[in-house]
Amino acid sequence: MTAFKENDVHAVAPEVAISFFKGIMPFDTLDEETLRSLARHCRIDFFPKGTRLLTADVTELTHLYFIQRGGVKAFLEDENGEVTLKDFRGEGAYIGALAIIRGTPANLNIETVEDTFCFLLPRDIFLGLIEKQASFAHFYLKSFSEKIVTTAYNELRHHKVTRRSNEDLYLFSIRVGDLVKTLRKVAASATIQEAASLMTEHRVGCLLIHDALDAERIVGIITDRDLRGKVVAAGLDFQQQVQTIMSSPVQTVLSQSLCFDVLLKMMDTGIHHLAVERAGKIIGVITSHDIMLLQGHSPYYLFKEILGQQQISGLYPLANKIPDVIRGLIGEGAKAGNITQMIAILNDHILERMLTLLQQELGAPPVPYCWLLLGSEGRREQTFKTDQDNAIIYSDPEDEAQAQAAAAYFKAFAAKAIDHLVNCGYPLCPGEVMAVNPLWCQPLSSWKHYFERWVSEPDPQELRYATIFFDFRAGFGEAALAESLRAHLNRHIKGRDLFLFHLARQSMETRAPLSFFKNFIVERDGEHKNRLDIKKQGLTPFVNFARVLALKFGVNETNTLARLKALRDGDWIQGELWSSASEAYELQMQQRLVHQLRQIEAGTIPDNYIDPADLSDLERRMLKDAFTVIERLYGVLDQMYPVT
Amino acid sequence: MMLELLKPRSWFAPPHPLITRNREIFAKFDQSRPLTEYTFVVCDTELTGFDLKRDAIISIGAVVIRDLQIDLGATFHRYIRPKDITHTQATLIHRITPQQLAEAPPLEEVLPAFVEFAGSSLMVGHCVALDMGFLNKAARKILGGTLSNPGIDTIRMARGYRRALSGHFHGEDDWSHNYSLEALSKEYNLPAFKPHDALEDAMQTAYLFLFLLKKFRKGGLLTLKDIYQAGRVGSVWS
Repeated sequence: MTAFKENDVHAVAPEVAISFFKGIMPFDTLDEETLRSLARHCRIDFFPKGTRLLTADVTELTHLYFIQRGGVKAFLEDENGEVTLKDFRGEGAYIGALAIIRGTPANLNIETVEDTFCFLLPRDIFLGLIEKQASFAHFYLKSFSEKIVTTAYNELRHHKVTRRSNEDLYLFSIRVGDLVKTLRKVAASATIQEAASLMTEHRVGCLLIHDALDAERIVGIITDRDLRGKVVAAGLDFQQQVQTIMSSPVQTVLSQSLCFDVLLKMMDTGIHHLAVERAGKIIGVITSHDIMLLQGHSPYYLFKEILGQQQISGLYPLANKIPDVIRGLIGEGAKAGNITQMIAILNDHILERMLTLLQQELGAPPVPYCWLLLGSEGRREQTFKTDQDNAIIYSDPEDEAQAQAAAAYFKAFAAKAIDHLVNCGYPLCPGEVMAVNPLWCQPLSSWKHYFERWVSEPDPQELRYATIFFDFRAGFGEAALAESLRAHLNRHIKGRDLFLFHLARQSMETRAPLSFFKNFIVERDGEHKNRLDIKKQGLTPFVNFARVLALKFGVNETNTLARLKALRDGDWIQGELWSSASEAYELQMQQRLVHQLRQIEAGTIPDNYIDPADLSDLERRMLKDAFTVIERLYGVLDQMYPVT
Repeated sequence: MMLELLKPRSWFAPPHPLITRNREIFAKFDQSRPLTEYTFVVCDTELTGFDLKRDAIISIGAVVIRDLQIDLGATFHRYIRPKDITHTQATLIHRITPQQLAEAPPLEEVLPAFVEFAGSSLMVGHCVALDMGFLNKAARKILGGTLSNPGIDTIRMARGYRRALSGHFHGEDDWSHNYSLEALSKEYNLPAFKPHDALEDAMQTAYLFLFLLKKFRKGGLLTLKDIYQAGRVGSVWS
């Protein structure tokens, strides 16, 4: 009978096993020949519902199990018989990999919860794959390789967002170094006229200026606009040295930067000519025009339209174009972190333009003020059309008359601003955390007092809705007011452990789900649900964690990814935890963005509820791993703020 | 030549050594050992029709179950060139082309290979008597004797299982129940295979057999004898 095994042309490896393995990661990367040989080494076993497959610390694994049909639960049992559910696994999932790799007995109890058929892959064959195929080691050792993450993003992009046209999009593939043109420069001591004729000769809109004695040292830049504004309009003698009108120093970007990042920088700073640096040397200039030429549907067009708007009502339709821009970015492969940054920049510019125009309409304010953005806006994490969360902080008035004037002015100002924002498509905040609410339109001293009270006499009930205030940032106006408030808060929070304790314990109230099983999400108590609240269960735990630690360690950033990075840089969290948390957080944001984009396109109101049935295996795997990261974050919080 | 004819035994051709060995293996067959100790060959034949006199086997597919697990390294799948190549209407429902049949070896080559493959295993099939009827007819002709491998019929097992589940005999009601391989696989939510291909059907039957066997085993039936008695699921061939 052995004659019919190996090498027999008739001993076909059954299609059933081959097609099964082709459908699961990382086996889908194997070539046909390897798959066939592997399939011939497999066995198929059946375990009726309620069969114990593995017993923790006892069962020695002779093979790896793959569920073909049915499902199992994984659990631990302590000496008192107390059972902790650890996981549910369904079709396509594996059992026993870790124990085989580590050469230990099973680490979990496994029992079938349905009639279950499994493929059994011999231990040695599996170990051979781990050794020979890099993708296997990565996959089973649970370290997300760059490749898996990229696959997940690509999957999200290709399967869930359909392109509207065949426009080729470059923002995320082209680096500025590839766009930069021949370096054109002139000595700082040259005359303005010499510089202008050089620009005409080379047909360029800007020119780099180098040190009169050292041609390699770039000291400034001039543009067409400088010639127009600073020379012609001002009647300046163009025999003057060019250095009198140059902008200096030159803002630079690295040649390997992606066009997208450069565009963000231009939009953020308002500087549209940047010098490109390679290996410490300026190699040329990149302009917003160069990047715009790359594509017709750039966020930059919207940005320019917003800046040029002279009527507040003209901003309404522009704000409604933001989803289109975001769609383009997702389609192009932008990651959630970049997208939310772009959304924040566009929203900020709409706000800035609107309040500038409004201020022209109402006249100058009696005292300096700052429009504060709170919650997700404060964190620069809005997706589509999130509720308004804003407030006004103004300088302390000098006397009663000024106080009354300020109160009256900002009341009217806020009322109009809120209305305009609603017209732009930002819905009212149901909790009335808006500048139009007198409580949240206050001078600096009142704001300081608010935060002092929240921090010194924390009332858990009140804290629950006050958390969004701790994510404030300056949206428009006198940023120094917001900075002063932040500094005050940081000083005051030192040593207020009770406040941080409440904040930390509240953060841990929402437990991450355990796993996916078939088309359900399994909660820690074993309950099966058919929808996942990706905001509450998936994202908020990261936001809360980052907030608690940022406040504890005086990190000024409000953005969650930036907070996590600052915490890593400050050595307050481990590098490994930082990278897992950032990755898990961003991937879920992406999931949420794509989900909401699809809803908008289907004409429904975007929400945060994801149906597990819509998720691919890879997405489930990534989400499941994100859930385990949440548990690790809670572990850190729990250690810092234990319940005694 | 003439002298050969004079020997009494040569009037009846002696059985092929394969048959002799097959008989020896099962002469001392013991039904009381634990199920895990037996090897099973789950087989399916594709036929040109159901008439034992006129029809022929055109394909044999089989998989091995050892340690109560399907061994994917041991499968058997052959096409067989029938004597009358024109008499092949059945290929319309089988997934076999006339071309494949024309190129296939004759049963004289395939049958000994199959007997060797089956070895000391028990023969399992869905309505195994039909397959065994055709195989034994061929064996008598080609090898001078029939196979002694005991058979197990998954239809009878399924009846026994149904009876065990409900606790009583269904009687007439049972006859309206659909016991086709496809229907049972669906009823028990087994992975589905393409029908009318000998190997795929054998694989489907193997899943069904494994399902039923392990269900019986969970119910406390631990030896082959237990299974036979509980389900009256088969018989020892003779």
